[in-house]
Amino acid sequence: MRISLGKTRGKIVGAVVMVAAALLIGAVLMLLSGNNPLEAYRALVFGAFSSRQRVSELFVKLVPVMIMGLGVSVAYRAQLWNIGAGGQFLLGAIAATAVGLYVKLPPALLAPLTILAAAAAGGGWALLAGLLKVKFHANEVITTLMLNYIANYFLKFLVYGPMMDPAGQLPQSALLPEGIRLRQIFPGLRANYGLIIMVVALILTALLWRSAVGCRINLIGQGERVATYGGVNVRRVVLLTMFISGGAAGVAGWIETFGLQYRLMENMAGSYGDIATVVALLGALNPYGIAAASVFFAILLVGGAGMQRMTNVPYSIVDVIQGLIIIFVIAGVVGREGRPGKRPGKQSSKLSSKQPSKLSSKEPGRRERDA
Amino acid sequence: MLENIFTANFLISLLASTVRLATPIMTPALGQIYTQRAGILNLGVEGTMIMGAVTGFAAASFTGSLWLGLLGGMLTGMFWSLIMAWLAITMRANQVIAGLGMNILGAGLAAYIYRVIFGVRSLPPRITPFQGLSLPGLSDIPVLGPILFQHNALVYLSFLLVPLTWFILERTTLGLKIKAVGEHPRAADAKGVNVLGIRYAAVLIGGLYAGAAGAFMTIAYLNSFTEAVISGRGYIAVAVVIFARFLPARAMWGALLFGFASALQMRLQALGVDIANQLLLMLPYIMTIIALIIASNKAEFPGAYTIPYSRMER
Repeated sequence: MRISLGKTRGKIVGAVVMVAAALLIGAVLMLLSGNNPLEAYRALVFGAFSSRQRVSELFVKLVPVMIMGLGVSVAYRAQLWNIGAGGQFLLGAIAATAVGLYVKLPPALLAPLTILAAAAAGGGWALLAGLLKVKFHANEVITTLMLNYIANYFLKFLVYGPMMDPAGQLPQSALLPEGIRLRQIFPGLRANYGLIIMVVALILTALLWRSAVGCRINLIGQGERVATYGGVNVRRVVLLTMFISGGAAGVAGWIETFGLQYRLMENMAGSYGDIATVVALLGALNPYGIAAASVFFAILLVGGAGMQRMTNVPYSIVDVIQGLIIIFVIAGVVGREGRPGKRPGKQSSKLSSKQPSKLSSKEPGRRERDA
Repeated sequence: MLENIFTANFLISLLASTVRLATPIMTPALGQIYTQRAGILNLGVEGTMIMGAVTGFAAASFTGSLWLGLLGGMLTGMFWSLIMAWLAITMRANQVIAGLGMNILGAGLAAYIYRVIFGVRSLPPRITPFQGLSLPGLSDIPVLGPILFQHNALVYLSFLLVPLTWFILERTTLGLKIKAVGEHPRAADAKGVNVLGIRYAAVLIGGLYAGAAGAFMTIAYLNSFTEAVISGRGYIAVAVVIFARFLPARAMWGALLFGFASALQMRLQALGVDIANQLLLMLPYIMTIIALIIASNKAEFPGAYTIPYSRMER
């Protein structure tokens, strides 16, 4: 399948327009609060690029954002709305740290084992929501979000209780042994070799969409009936999709603990879970689009902190811009291809509304009759 | 330990908290019954509630009137759900993503508004919230009085919404139209029902309820605003609606169940029970998942659930 250049260019222009519109409304909000938006945005760019440390921070943020964005995009292509990347990130971090601290093995064996543990735990946490959907038709948006809260409290429980650093009174785990940590690229700067894992994740995702499995995942996104007619075992692929999606977040959690903090701490996931959704949608679920959107968001995150230090504009404007971008993306997608008048069935985007896949063997064809 | 739990005082305070904590889940759930019966899944309740919470708090602290705070929360809730309605009904966007977007935007905007209005202070601004009413006669009944009749006005108003919601949905033409556009919009359209208009109305009523519940959190439950003031209650309300199979009375019982889980956690913590409080705090979220497991297979979703309507498509 060849994508025409004109269409790709149109999508890129569309994404840029949406980002510009979100930044513009952000500027209006700053004006309303009595701040100078030009100054604020200048502080934002300055805050992101003005020193070696800050550029290194860009990569520190870019790695988890891109890996998690790629991860949720796999689920979103199948119309599985996994919004629990934050919780899956935490489970990955917890499992990897537990293995790293308590399993006694030579570093050469232990290090790969911690990555596997992170991927399995993150994937398993998402798989749980997948199982609940397949078995009980429980809405995955709500279950993945609830699992986020549960993961957060579980992490709190661990760092205040059984995994608390015996050497101190702070809510954090003991430090991981140095032999299994992920190294910094330049000594003294926090950017680390998680960057390579990120590039691998990008390549793997791009390859996934050229593989048979990727094709099946896409088919599920077309609706359960389409997938069944296409000979796809819907349940199995749904579970696999959720596992891949969560596994990516788990690996991001591994990078955060083994490459950055070297221990478990409270609220490690921050707002990465939400941002993963935003970059996946802004990147139109395309791996390269997600990569570009992630770069933009890394700048926004690092620069936003600088902006808050240098001006009176609160950091929460960054969250506002995120939300605006989602709203514009969905309004824009529909504006381009799903407006009333277009026949259904020609929708090429996963983001436009279509009949929900119910993943149910009960009452097939019911929706057909009603629709 | 056990003898501390099975005392009359503990049980009374537990059940009284249950009623109070059920309110901010029941109210948005009742509102979502209108919305979901009309075929729209508004996952943006969480964002609607936090917007209601911040404007309710700001309005109450500037006007000094708690009732104006409530009104502010309700109007904001309606405005916020109007955007959701535009996305879901007019733009026919995917309702799940639209709801998510409204939540992320709401959380960010609420925090922004709060920071801009109140700035950074060492002591967070506080208000005097709605106080418990003592109802002559009723409040003095032993056991039942403290459990049911010493709450603030908003708790009673919320419980009055249960029969009101039932009445509107089951005994008025508006209710009939809401159900018709949710079950079979094409047939409703052929009958001359304004499908889009009714769906807008149903989403706006849902926003009104959710905004009121958001304001409840800051002006009748707590006395200040924090970014974690809603912490998942909007999503829990959506789960309660599915659990309740779209019926108001069942939504009330569902909300009371969640109120009980939250109250149990708080009361046990206050007693200093030997379970880590982080594990107790998980309770309402675990219950939400269990509720979905029990209910989702059985729930009869409206025929046109989450499907946008257009005359030009068949």
